Amino acid sequence: MKRSKFVLGTLGGLALVANPQHVFARALSSALRPGLPGAENRVFVLINLQGGNDGLNCVVPHGDPLYYQVRPHLAIPANEVLALDARIGFNPAMRSMKALYDRGMVAVVQGVGYPHPNHSHFRSTEIWQTAAPDRYEHTGWLGRYLDESGVPASDLFAGVSIAQVLPEVMIGNRVDVPAIPNARGYGFAGNRNRVLGRAFSGVLGDRALPFASPYLAHVTEIAENAESGAKELPKLIAGYRTKASYPATPLGRSLALAAQIAAKSAGTKVLYVAHGSFDTHVNQQPTQNRLLAELSDALSAFYSDLAEHGNDGRVLTMTFSEFGRRIAQNGSAGTDHGEASPLFLIGKSLKGGIYGSYPDLADHDAGNLRYTTDFRSVYATVLERWLGRPSSLVLAGRFPVLPMLG
Amino acid sequence: MASATTVRPHADIPGLVRPAGRLDGGDALARYRGPWNPRLAAHLLRRAGFGGSPDEVARVTAMGMERAVDALMQMPSVESVAPPSDLFDVVAYLEARGGFRSLRTEDVAEKRKLFQRIRMGEHRSILALQQWWLQRMLDGAAPLQEKMAFYFHGHFTTASLQKNVTAEMTLAQNQLFRRYALGNLRELTKAVSRDPAMLLYLDNARNNKSHPNENYARELMELFTLGLGAYTEEDVRQAARAWTGYEVFPLRGVARYNPRKHDDGIKRFLGHTGNLNGDDIVDIIFEQPQCARFFATSLMNAFLYNDPEDALIGRVASLLKTHDYELRPVLGTLLRSNVFYSRRAYRALVKSPVEFVVGAHKAIGLTRIDPRSRGALRQMGQMLFFPPNVAGWPGGENWLTSDMTIARDNFLAGLVSGRALERSWLADAPTDAAQAASVMLAQMLQGDASASARSDLERYLDGAGSAALGALSSENFDQRMRGAAYLTMAMPAFALA
Repeated sequence: MKRSKFVLGTLGGLALVANPQHVFARALSSALRPGLPGAENRVFVLINLQGGNDGLNCVVPHGDPLYYQVRPHLAIPANEVLALDARIGFNPAMRSMKALYDRGMVAVVQGVGYPHPNHSHFRSTEIWQTAAPDRYEHTGWLGRYLDESGVPASDLFAGVSIAQVLPEVMIGNRVDVPAIPNARGYGFAGNRNRVLGRAFSGVLGDRALPFASPYLAHVTEIAENAESGAKELPKLIAGYRTKASYPATPLGRSLALAAQIAAKSAGTKVLYVAHGSFDTHVNQQPTQNRLLAELSDALSAFYSDLAEHGNDGRVLTMTFSEFGRRIAQNGSAGTDHGEASPLFLIGKSLKGGIYGSYPDLADHDAGNLRYTTDFRSVYATVLERWLGRPSSLVLAGRFPVLPMLG
Repeated sequence: MASATTVRPHADIPGLVRPAGRLDGGDALARYRGPWNPRLAAHLLRRAGFGGSPDEVARVTAMGMERAVDALMQMPSVESVAPPSDLFDVVAYLEARGGFRSLRTEDVAEKRKLFQRIRMGEHRSILALQQWWLQRMLDGAAPLQEKMAFYFHGHFTTASLQKNVTAEMTLAQNQLFRRYALGNLRELTKAVSRDPAMLLYLDNARNNKSHPNENYARELMELFTLGLGAYTEEDVRQAARAWTGYEVFPLRGVARYNPRKHDDGIKRFLGHTGNLNGDDIVDIIFEQPQCARFFATSLMNAFLYNDPEDALIGRVASLLKTHDYELRPVLGTLLRSNVFYSRRAYRALVKSPVEFVVGAHKAIGLTRIDPRSRGALRQMGQMLFFPPNVAGWPGGENWLTSDMTIARDNFLAGLVSGRALERSWLADAPTDAAQAASVMLAQMLQGDASASARSDLERYLDGAGSAALGALSSENFDQRMRGAAYLTMAMPAFALA
């Protein structure tokens, strides 16, 4: 038994599993390798900027005259931009983000994307979440990470989606991730176990039903997870207080809960939060500015909350969006679906600054920005340098690691 | 979420999505002539409606399959469907204040008050519409018409109270879906394309000759008719040009075609060239073989089971082509088919929150929608008229999350504690615990519980060591019945359609 595990471990990717054409299933069967020292207590928070964040008006190329030519009405005047250097700067709504940047806590990765960009929200979101631009994959990159990281499957909060849905990025083969949109709603009304005696546990795990349904096993499994999760969550976050003032928005509330979950060593590795919608086809500016201000303010509150509890060094946050938007503005003071865009990594343990190169506005792909950094390079950096795990199985390939961590 | 019709298999349960067993391709769509019983009657009512009350199941059992399907396919005229009486009327409100000119007032405070009043009125109207629609789903006068409207609402998604979509437009679109419940899919696609709510929601009202907006053209193909891979980015641009020229007057809730804003140039779309307009685009789309396969897959995911076999998709697709996309004969065939009544289709769909909520009312014989249902549906992530995005609710196993389970069971706890339950059939249940358990499982679950769950329910009904069911005062009997109803509806089978 041990020996075969050892063999599988040394051979790594050559292990045989039930479904051999499933490249990621191999990650599961490889024995655990030593991780990065200190990575055990680290948490990774992923924020999905849903709808396609316009990168050009988020990290603004104020030093490029071409930007002002292609966006005669939508461009942000250079004197309003929160300059990072002579070339680029933040949208003026991102004052709190700029403050974090000035403290060395923000890494801006420019021009992130993937080969053969897809302009559909749904397909492109799926590509970002599965990290598989060239085929359909049923598991997400963080789900695969959880599968191969060796966290016990009984760990109820190894990954948590702080959203009403379970996003594809958290779907794995082994570890089930709960969706907890807010802590207050995550509990059963009354004490049904006491009121209904033992009867409840009996009907809950009912698997031997007189019909076959493809969903039956999952219904009962989820019901059991809900039962134990609802019991454990209040214990996990009990007594947590903070002086941080979060914006009274869904994102603010989500990050406040993320700070509470991350505070305890409940084995939590990854958290997912959603923010949006950035799908600004029409009258972009007020919407995008509001969303970017909310993002910046919520992140600022999040890190002061984490710092207050001594956790700011062990929580790394990253944003992503399914695509940037078209270079030229459209006829409705908005922008249509585009391609490459910047993303942010935020934390106290990273080397803040500007990474990658800004896409060339002149050398475009039919009106869209060409990516300069493959998104899987960013994922590889997080996996290897933050979560302390090898990335090639999770990402089905090797991608260069960026130098902002460790 | 590649499209509204695909469902992700859950990876750790092999074969989760596609039911086990071999499909008899030749026989699958042939008329079902097997035995007819309450289980199949309830199955039909769950799929062609929102479930059946014990009375409805008994009635459909007595009717037999043929007559039951005939009855379900009768569609009342939309004009006979009275909308809720308490809708806020924006136009009347403004006219009472001097007409639309009042909106152009220089008085900022006055203007803010006007808009706030309109917003509040609109919000109240949507709540009234939600309650009204849930009630129609429960009433069961035309369950299939409501089921089709619900299916189209998830397919041709439009969210209300954003992008200037008003409650009035939302009701109009809802009625459009009722009108086309068993109508022609191509004609519905044309009608919904110029529906004011849709024109606003997907920005086609802003799509004009000088500034084309591709949002609608893209979703029309990706989510509504073809799916990814059946067209190119250039086709999206060309279709957007063909659809230019529509405008909407939000407060009056009407759309109009303005030829001056329409692009009369030559477009090249999916192999066709000419001065194409929006209807031409839809006609060309419906000639594509992929369109029939797309709708076949979508209909089977909604009415049969998820991830249907390729061979079956092909058969239903050719049925759609044969009948020129008329839904009545196609759905009629499906609802009478062998595969529809097969083991592989039985309880093979996950109930959406709306189906769960309405179905729970039916199971315990409630005739009025509990007003707490709307809040419960918000908790469960399915607010009518507010789909999460243009792809609609993802459905299938996406409904199987732990917080959904919690929200569902909490809704049930509230529902069984309501006053209305005193007039339900539960009050007349037998006083013998074994008999009572039997009746409950038969009426609410058609017996779909294991022997161990049945004995747990019996033990609970019998007091589990405290007073037996027959020895209880009427008040305590009532309490125990409510507990047992909760237990029964919290059983796994009840989450499945």
